[in-house]
Amino acid sequence: MIEPYLAFHGVTKRFGDLDVVAQPFSISVARNEFVVFLGPSGCGKTTLMRMIGGLETPSSGAICLEGLPVGGPDHRRGMVFQSYSSFPWLTVAENVLFGMRYRKDLTEQQKLARRDNYLELVGLYDFSDAYPNKVSGGMRQRVAIARTLAAGSDVMLMDEPFGALDAQRRERLQVELRAIQRRDAKTIVFVTHDVEEAVFLADRVIVFSKRPARVMADIDITERLGAERPLELRDSPEFFQLRNAVLRLLREAAGDEE
Amino acid sequence: MTDISETAPVTVPDPRTAATAPRPDPSSIWAFRGTLSRRAQIGIGVGTSVGLLLIWEAVARIGLVNTTFLPSPSTVLSSMLMMVQKQNLLQHAGISTLRVWVAFILAAVMAIPIGILMSSYRVVGAALEPIIDFIRYLPVPALVPLSIIWFGVGESTKLYLLWLGTFFQLVLLVADDMRRVPHEYIEIAHTLGANTRQTLRDVAFRAMLPGLVDNLRITLGWCWTYLIIAEIVAADSGIGFVIWTARRYMKTPEVMAGVVVIGVIGLVTDQLLRALHRRAFRYL
Repeated sequence: MIEPYLAFHGVTKRFGDLDVVAQPFSISVARNEFVVFLGPSGCGKTTLMRMIGGLETPSSGAICLEGLPVGGPDHRRGMVFQSYSSFPWLTVAENVLFGMRYRKDLTEQQKLARRDNYLELVGLYDFSDAYPNKVSGGMRQRVAIARTLAAGSDVMLMDEPFGALDAQRRERLQVELRAIQRRDAKTIVFVTHDVEEAVFLADRVIVFSKRPARVMADIDITERLGAERPLELRDSPEFFQLRNAVLRLLREAAGDEE
Repeated sequence: MTDISETAPVTVPDPRTAATAPRPDPSSIWAFRGTLSRRAQIGIGVGTSVGLLLIWEAVARIGLVNTTFLPSPSTVLSSMLMMVQKQNLLQHAGISTLRVWVAFILAAVMAIPIGILMSSYRVVGAALEPIIDFIRYLPVPALVPLSIIWFGVGESTKLYLLWLGTFFQLVLLVADDMRRVPHEYIEIAHTLGANTRQTLRDVAFRAMLPGLVDNLRITLGWCWTYLIIAEIVAADSGIGFVIWTARRYMKTPEVMAGVVVIGVIGLVTDQLLRALHRRAFRYL
């Protein structure tokens, strides 16, 4: 058997008396796969993602990256948060450079080259010297994405990164993120409770029940929509149908308390 | 399709009887929660202050009050100039300022690392918080006799009292600044490979810095309060000593002049630190 790239092996999590993930959770994620954890708010999907980053430890089971159990956080597994995602005291360019601050294997010159490269990639080169409070919320999220890429993350962990953006910025960043992921060949685990976002971005959507988190469905999106995700895809009947199907699943997952 | 002109006519309620909230003219300076231009604000502020001084001056000159108790502003100013020339007022002010800064820096140098540790490590916080909370509520003047027993009436008593008044307050403010640093920043640093020391130095400390500088500015102000107490109790120099000596001979203008000097030093220091804050933290 070929060892999967990233794998959860029977992971559970308890915080004190609170079961966050009770039923052992096992999935494997292929290299360069874009996986979205979709579920009701507070269902435990974020906790599962944070375990990949080494920010939480499983109560039982293990998470393996390339066959080796993950330990504490390091630059190979980068995080992008919804808020406080960039440092306000550093300029846009300094924020991206900060991503490589603790990497001793890169020379100063290499770091500067990578910084400029990723600033260009996310379209922020012209805003290099601006402080984060002077750019839009969407740009601040791009700063965080560029910083994570510059740091050299193989796996990008994104916790509702576009949750605080308005609809248009959100759509644009989704298109860009998908393009970056395809070009840079990154494995992404992305947490959201937005069904459209999940279906548009993902190769694969894992639908979770409300807490304690249980997998309700594991849906292959690429098989149905293809790997390319232009903005127009949102208007197609295929997208619409899939979105509705996932939405129904999520409604079941949330239960009928609302 | 219906013609909209055939629908019932709209009745406009009489604004004098309509039960709506009042809508005053927004350009009026009395607009409730309204705005005022910066120039107008400065003008009004200066105008009020000058007006008050003029009334005070007039009241004193006409003889409506006993000038032994309330000398006119001009008398206070002239005795201030006299004190600068004959009583080394500036030297006394310098000594007081030096005391404040020495004690304040001493308090800050100790409070900053301890406060940071209290928020970074639960065990340090749990150990120190009860003690600090207790001492914080002791009024400094109540500790004057004890500090004289311990340190006599020399410089160290004054520095000790000032330190006492600021350290315990500051340590909790620093701890609070650190606690307010968003956890996301810490986790970003960790996922970029920073160890604890690097995270503290490069991220947490930087994130708390604007709040810290603000709190230092505020506690520096408190230092002056305790200075006067210390200098009144035990000193042969400093502004507090000058004020207390003048009081003994009922030289009210000199007492007031001393108070004004403290006010001016405080105001200037505060404005300087504010300007520094704006320059250093342009990103805010």
